[in-house]
Amino acid sequence: MINKDKWIKTLPTATFNTDQKIDQLDHDRWESTLIKKNSFSSVKKYSLLTLTFIFGLLVVSVVKNQTRILEKEIESLNASLKSIEFNLAQSILDNEVITSPENISKLAEEYLNTDLRSYKKSQIKSLNNAQEENFISSKSKKKTAKNNEKKLSQEVKLRVSKKIENKKKEIKKLQELYNDPKSIPDEVKGKIAKKIKEKKFELKSLYESPKEVFTFERFGKWSIIQVAKLLIGMPVIPGR
Amino acid sequence: MKKKSFHFEDYTESKINEKNSSNNFIEISSSRVIFLSTIFLFLLFVCSIKVIYLSLSPKKEFNIKSSKVEFVKNRRDIVDRNGSVVATNVNLYDVGIRPQLLGDQEKKQLLIKLALLIPDLNLIKIKKKLKKNEFFWLGKRLTPQEKDEIWLIGNKSFEFQSKPSRIYPQSYLFSHILGQTDDTNNGISGIEKFLNTNLINKNKIETPINLTLDSNLQHLIRDELVKAQEDFYNIGSAAVLMNVKNGEILSLISLPDYDLNKRVSIQSEKYINKITLGVYELGSVFKTFTIAAALENELINPNTIFKNLEKTLNCGDYTISEHDKLPQNLSAEQILVRSSNIGAVRIAQKLGVEKYRSFLNSLDLLDTINFDLLEVGTPLNFNWGKCKLATTSYGHGITTTPLQIAKAYATLVNGGYEVTPTILANKLKNPKKRERVISKKTSNAINIMLRKVVSLNEGTANFANIEGYEVAGKTGTAVKYNSKNKLNTFVSIFPSSNPQYLLLVMLDEPKPAPNYVYKFPSSLKFPNGYNYKGENRNTSGWNTVVVAGKIIEKIGPILATKNLQASTNF
Repeated sequence: MINKDKWIKTLPTATFNTDQKIDQLDHDRWESTLIKKNSFSSVKKYSLLTLTFIFGLLVVSVVKNQTRILEKEIESLNASLKSIEFNLAQSILDNEVITSPENISKLAEEYLNTDLRSYKKSQIKSLNNAQEENFISSKSKKKTAKNNEKKLSQEVKLRVSKKIENKKKEIKKLQELYNDPKSIPDEVKGKIAKKIKEKKFELKSLYESPKEVFTFERFGKWSIIQVAKLLIGMPVIPGR
Repeated sequence: MKKKSFHFEDYTESKINEKNSSNNFIEISSSRVIFLSTIFLFLLFVCSIKVIYLSLSPKKEFNIKSSKVEFVKNRRDIVDRNGSVVATNVNLYDVGIRPQLLGDQEKKQLLIKLALLIPDLNLIKIKKKLKKNEFFWLGKRLTPQEKDEIWLIGNKSFEFQSKPSRIYPQSYLFSHILGQTDDTNNGISGIEKFLNTNLINKNKIETPINLTLDSNLQHLIRDELVKAQEDFYNIGSAAVLMNVKNGEILSLISLPDYDLNKRVSIQSEKYINKITLGVYELGSVFKTFTIAAALENELINPNTIFKNLEKTLNCGDYTISEHDKLPQNLSAEQILVRSSNIGAVRIAQKLGVEKYRSFLNSLDLLDTINFDLLEVGTPLNFNWGKCKLATTSYGHGITTTPLQIAKAYATLVNGGYEVTPTILANKLKNPKKRERVISKKTSNAINIMLRKVVSLNEGTANFANIEGYEVAGKTGTAVKYNSKNKLNTFVSIFPSSNPQYLLLVMLDEPKPAPNYVYKFPSSLKFPNGYNYKGENRNTSGWNTVVVAGKIIEKIGPILATKNLQASTNF
C-alpha cells in the first residue's frame, strides 16, 4: 500500500506566512506572457487593401468615363472630318467637271466673242521712224485727253461730295431742332406762330365765306399754273 | 460561456478564461472577415478583369456608330500631268425592288410613280419582273440625287445599296487609256487593268497615279478629229502626241470613243484603241525608214541620184506604181519629198533584206512593243523575200501599230536615241541611260528631208506648213486589205530644227471632200492645178495633213514651240 502521507510530505510545503498579495495571481503578469494575436491589425490591413482597391476601381471607372467622353468627342470629330473630306472630294469632283476643257470650250462658245479675225504678218503695216513718232505722239495726245477727262470727273466728284456733306449737316441740325424744340430761338418761334395764325385765319375765312376766297384773280392764277403743269407733264391734281 | 462556479470562484482564472474567450471571438470574426473579403476581392477581381477587357476591347463593341455611311476609298485616283483628276471614287447606289412586299394595287401604283419619275424606263420589262415576285435591280450606279428621287417615292419594296464606284469626270476624253472597272471594283481594261494591283494598294491609297497626258491637249486634239469626221467623212480617227526626247505621251486619242461613266458592253471593233492595239499597213511613212536605213549603212546620201526610175514595177502578181507623175531621175531626198514608191523600192534593193530587216528590228517595228496598257497590238508575221522587200520599202505588206511608228520616228529625229513611249509620269523620274540606235548624222539628214516634205512646193504635206512651227513630217496613204477604202496617216515633228514633239494623225476611211475649202499656205505657190474647193483627191496630203496642221496650230501655244528657234537665238 502506498503511504500517502509519506509521499505528500516530500512535496514542498507551501509557505502560508508569505504575503497574500504575492500569493495572489497577477493576471497581468501572466497575460503579458501570452502571445498576443494581432487580429485587429490584420482586419485593418484587409480593409485598407479593400478600400484601396475600391478607390482604384472608382478611379478606373472615372478615368474610363472620361476616356469614353473623349472617345465620343474623337468619334464625332472623326465623323465631321469624314464628312468634310467627303465634301472636299465632291467639290474637287465638281470643280473637275466644271473646269473640264469640254465645258470651258462650251462656255467660251456661248459667252466669248470668238468671231476674231486672224491677220497674217504681211497684213500688218510696218511703220517707219516718222510714222512711229506720229503714232507715239497721237498716243500721248490720247493719253493727256484721257487724263483731263479723269481730272474733270474728279473735280465734279469733289463738288458733289461737298454738297452732300453740307446737306447732311443741315439735316442733322434740323433733326436736333426737332428733337429739342426748346433750343429753337424765340424769333423763329414768333415767325412760325405768326404764320400759323395767318393760316388759321385764312382757313376760318374760307370756312365762313368760301365765295370771297375764290376770287376771279385767284382762279385765273390757279388755272394758268395748272395749264403750265399740264404742258410740263407734271400731275395737275397731285396724288393722282 | 460565463458559467459561475457555485462552490468556488477563481477570479483570476475566470478572467483569463474571459480573455481567452474574447480572443477566440476575434479569431472567429476575423476569419469570417477574411472569408468574406476574399469573396469580395474575388468579385472585384472579376469586375476589374471585365473593366480591363472593356478598356482594351476594340471600339466597335461600345462606341456609338456614326449615322453617316462611310465613304471608303478603295482605288487610287488617277490624275493628268496638270493634276486634274481623270478617275476617282464616289459612293453610288444600286436600287433594287422586292415585289413580294407589294400587293397588286401597290404594284400598279409603283409602276405609275416610276413612269412619272423616269420617263425612259421600260415599263413592260418592269411589269414582268414585278409579276415574277422575285427581287430585281431597278438601276445601278445611281448618283445620290437620283437615289433620293427614287427614295422619295416612299415605297417599302425599294432596297438601296451604297458602294464605292469609279467615276471619270472627263467622260469621253480618256476612254481608251483609262479603261473601266467591274462591279467588284477590279480593273477590266486600260490603265485600270494594267495597274490594278497598284491602284488598290491600300498603303498608297491617298497618293494618285500621275499620267503624262494633258487634258487640255487631249480635248483640243479630239475636237479637231471630231471636226475632221464632218469634213472628210472618215469612220474613225486617231492621234498621238509624244515628246521625242523621253517618249512621254501628252495625248492619245482614238475615235470613236465612249463615255466611261456609262457601262455599256462594247463589242464592235471600231471602238478599239487604234493607236496601241490597231495593227495596220500604214503606207509611205515607211519610206523614211528605208532611206534612213540606207543612210545609216552609208549606201546613199540625200543627194544620191536614182536615174531612170520606172513608171511601174512588177513583182509577182503585184504591180508597183507611183501615186502621181514624177520625174524619171530623183535624188534620195526627192524620193522622200515626193513620196516615190519606185524610188523607195530601188533604195531597198540597194540595202537588201537583211540590212533592212535588222534596221526595222532596231526601231522595234516588227515585234510587240512594251507599253503601259494591255491593249497592245502585235505586227503580223510574214516571210521576207524580194517582193516583200520591195513592198515593205514603201509600207505595204508590212503591218505595225501607229504607236510603234511614232516611237520609230521619235528615235529617228531625236538624234538617234531609243525612246520608250509611256503614259506614266513615274517612269520618267528615273530615266535610263539612252541607247543610240542610229547616228546623229543620219538623224540630222532625216530631219532636213522631213522638213522639206512639208515646206517644199512639191512636198506631199504642204498644208501642215504652219508659220512659226517648223513642221516636218511624212505622209502615208494605204489602201485597206480587201477594200478600196483608205487609211491615211501623217507623222509630223516640230520644230524640225530642234525636234521636241511628234504628232501622228490617222484617218480611217476618209472620203474625198468636195465641199471642203482648202486654205493654201501663203508660202506656197498653190493652186497649180489644185482647187480651193471641189477637190476630189483622197490622199493623206489632202486630209490627214490638213487636220494635223489645224491641230498644231491649236496646241502650239500650249506647247510653246512657236518660233522656238528664233527665240532661242534671241
